[in-house]
Amino acid sequence: MAAELTSIKLNAESHLILDQPLLRVPHELARRNFKAVQRAVEREKEHVIPALKDAANAALSNTQTPDQALAALDAMIARMQGLKRKMQTLQEEEQKIQTQSKKRIQHLEALHQIPSLADVKYDQWSRVRLDRLLVDHMLRSGYSESAKQLAKEREIEDLVDLDVFTQCQRIVQSLHRGDTKEALQWCSENKAALKKSQHNLEFELRLQQFVELVRPQDPLKKIEAISHARKYLVPNHDQDSKELQRAAGMLVFNESTRVEPYKTLFSPDRWKALADLFIRTHHELLSLPSQPLLHIALSAGLSALKTPLCHSAFTSSSSNSQSTTTSVCPICSTELNELARKMPYAHHSKSYVENDPIVLPNGRIYGKARLSTISKNTGSVEPGKVKDPTTGDVYDESEMKKVYIM
Amino acid sequence: MDLVQKEHDRLQKKLRSSQGINSVQATIDLLQSARDAIAADPNQAAVTLAKLQNPIKTSFNAINDGLKETHGSLNKYTKSLDKLFKDRPLPSTEHDVLSQQEPLINRAIAMHLLREGQFSVAASFLSEISEKKALMTSNERSSASPGSPSLLDLDEVPSAEIRKEFASMYYILSQLKERRNLLPAIEWARENREALEARGSNLEFELCRLQFVWLYHGEPDTAGAIPSLIPGNWRAAMAYAKQEFHAFVPRYLREVQQLMGAMAFCPNLPGSPYAAIFNNTSAWEDVAQFFTREFCSLLGLSADSPLYIAATAGAIALPTLLKLQTIMKAKRTEWTSENELPVEIPLPPSYLFHSIFVCPVSKEQATDENPPMMMPCGHVIAEESLKRLSKGSRFKCPYCPNESHMKDARKVFL
Repeated sequence: MAAELTSIKLNAESHLILDQPLLRVPHELARRNFKAVQRAVEREKEHVIPALKDAANAALSNTQTPDQALAALDAMIARMQGLKRKMQTLQEEEQKIQTQSKKRIQHLEALHQIPSLADVKYDQWSRVRLDRLLVDHMLRSGYSESAKQLAKEREIEDLVDLDVFTQCQRIVQSLHRGDTKEALQWCSENKAALKKSQHNLEFELRLQQFVELVRPQDPLKKIEAISHARKYLVPNHDQDSKELQRAAGMLVFNESTRVEPYKTLFSPDRWKALADLFIRTHHELLSLPSQPLLHIALSAGLSALKTPLCHSAFTSSSSNSQSTTTSVCPICSTELNELARKMPYAHHSKSYVENDPIVLPNGRIYGKARLSTISKNTGSVEPGKVKDPTTGDVYDESEMKKVYIM
Repeated sequence: MDLVQKEHDRLQKKLRSSQGINSVQATIDLLQSARDAIAADPNQAAVTLAKLQNPIKTSFNAINDGLKETHGSLNKYTKSLDKLFKDRPLPSTEHDVLSQQEPLINRAIAMHLLREGQFSVAASFLSEISEKKALMTSNERSSASPGSPSLLDLDEVPSAEIRKEFASMYYILSQLKERRNLLPAIEWARENREALEARGSNLEFELCRLQFVWLYHGEPDTAGAIPSLIPGNWRAAMAYAKQEFHAFVPRYLREVQQLMGAMAFCPNLPGSPYAAIFNNTSAWEDVAQFFTREFCSLLGLSADSPLYIAATAGAIALPTLLKLQTIMKAKRTEWTSENELPVEIPLPPSYLFHSIFVCPVSKEQATDENPPMMMPCGHVIAEESLKRLSKGSRFKCPYCPNESHMKDARKVFL
C-alpha cells in the first residue's frame, strides 16, 4: 500500500515528541524544590518537638533555671525563623518555576490551535521551536553566552532552561579542572534522587579523591587516603567491592605503572570520564535526553528530505541554483550537504514530476510551462526557441519531446 | 494536553493558597508568646512549657498536611504528563551519526544565524567556538606532540566573506523594508546583472518598476493627499522612466508600455485598467522575498534556512520513524536497505524540492548507478529494469505496444 505522497495534516499530540523536556525539566525542578521544603520541615520538626519536651521535663523537675528555658525557646524560635526564610525563598523559586511551566504549556497549547502544516502560524511556531533546539544545542556544547544571547533576542527565555545548563556546565568545568567539590555538593543536594540512578556518581567521585591522595606517593597522604576510603568508599562496599579491592591495590602502585587496571585508574583521562558521567547522571535526573534534541530533529529531517539527486554527480534539473523558478533544495545547499552525505535518503513509492514534462535533446526533463517562462524571461532567447536553464543550451521549440513518467 | 493544563492550573492554585509559611509563622508566634509569658513570670515556666507541647505538635501537623496536599497535586500533574507523553519515548540514540559531525553542525548553525540576521549572536557563537577549539588545541599541545595550527581552520566556520555577503543582504533588506529605499537593491542587481540574466531572473526590472511606482505615489507622509494630484511626483516618475527604462525595452517592452500607458490615466489611476500595478499592497513584501531568493541563489544557498526546513521536516517525520522503531523492535527485524529509509514520510508539498523518479517496473528510486532511461516511445524506466526486460534483444515497452532496442534508450535527467 502506498502512503500518501504529501500531507499537510498536523497531529499536534504526536508532534510534541521533541518537546517533552520542555515540561519535564521544570517539573523535575519543582519536585526537587518540594522535596527540599519537606526535608527542611522534617528536620525542624525532629529538632523542635523533642527539644520542647526536654525543656518541659526539665522545668517540671526543676533542674533548670527559667533563663535556660528562655534560652531553649529562643533557640527554637531562631530555628523556626530560619525555616520560614528558607521556605520563603523556596516558595519564590517554586512560583518562578510554575509560571515558567505555565508559559510552556501555553506555548504547546498554541500548536493545538493550528489547523495544518501549511498554516503561517505553524511556520512561526516551528521557528520558535528551532530557536529552542538551537539554544539547547549551544548549552549542551558549552556555548552558554551565545545561548543566552539568542534566547534573549528571540524572547524565549521562559522556554529554555538556561540556569539548569549553566549550573551543569559549571560543575563539568570544575571536574575538568580536577575539582570534585562542586560535583559532590550537587550529589548531596540530590541524594534521594541519586539513589534510583544506575550510575554511582558519588562513589566514582570519592574514588577519584582517593586516587588523588595516592598519586603523590607521600606516606602521610596515603594514610589520609586509607581513612578517606574507610569513611566514604567502604559504605558502598557491597555494590562496589571489586572497585574497592582495586582501590586498595592502588596503594602499592605508582602513577607510572603499566599494570591494568591501575594504569587506567591513575590516568588523567578519568577526569573527563567523570565529567561525562556527571552529565549523564544530571540529564537522567532531569529526564533530559542524552543527545541534543537538534541532532534528533536533524537526523530525521535530513533523511526525510534527502533524495538520491542531492549527492548526484549530475546537476538536477528540477532544483538547482541556476534557474529562477525553483528554489535550491536545503540538502543541496552548502550548509547541510556534507552533513547529509552519510544519511539514508527518503523512501518514495511514486514518481513526482512537474506538470506536463518534456525532454530536451540533451536528456534534461522540465515542466513545459516552467521552461517557457524561463526562456521568455531570459532576454537573449529568440521567440520559438527554448533555453535549458541548467546547461544554457538553446533549442528549437519543436525539439521538445513529450515524456511519460508513471 | 487539556488534562495537563487542567492539572497544572490546579497545582498552581494549590501552591498559591498554600498555608505552609503561615503555619510556620503561627508556630513562631506560639513559641514567642510562651517565651514572653515565661519572661514575665518565671514561675509559670513548667506549666507554660507543658501547655505548649500539643499546640506545637498540631501546628507541625498542619504544615505537613499542607505539604501532603501539594504533593498530591504534584503527583497528579506528573501523571498527566506521563499520560501525554506515553508511547512517545524519545527515539533511541543508536544511529546518532551526527554527534561525530559537531563542526559541521556548528557551521550550519552559524550560517543559519547569519542568514536570519542574528549577527551579534553569530559573532559570539563563532568566538566561543574558536575559544573552545583554542583550549582543546592547547591541551593537546601540552599533552601530546605540538598540534598543527590547521585545527583552527576557517574552512569549518563560515568565512568572513560570507558573513560580509549576509551583512550586505541585511542592509539592503532593511533599507527596502523600513525606509522603502530601493536604490541599494537596484545597485546590487545591476552589479550582478549578468548572473541574474543567465538565471532568467527579472529582479532588476521588478525593482525598477517598483521604484517607478514609488516615485509616482510620492513620499509616504504625503500619501494622505491623493497622490496623483501632485504633478511633481508624476514628473519624477517620468524622469526616472526616461533615464532607466530604455535599457529594459528589448526584454520588457510590454511591461514598459503598460507603465507608460498608465501615465495617460494620471489623475484617475485607481479607476484605470492599470490600477493593479499601482495599488499592490503586498508589492514590497514580494520584492523583498524575491530579492532574498535571488541573493541566496547566487551564493548557491537555498532561500529559506536549510536548518529550519530540515528541523521542521524532522519534527514532522519523527512520529512515523518512531512508530517504525517500535514495530521493528516488536518484530525483531532489522532495517535492511541502509541507504534508504524503510517508510515513506508524507511531507507538505512545499518540502519537495527535487523531482522524484521511481521506476514503475522495479519500484526503486533512480540513482546515479541506476539512472532513468527513456525509450523511444517516451516512457521512462530505470536502467536495471531496462536491462532485465530487453535481455539484449528487441523488446516491447511495458506500457505501450511500441517495440525498441536497448541501445535506442537514452539517459534522462530529472
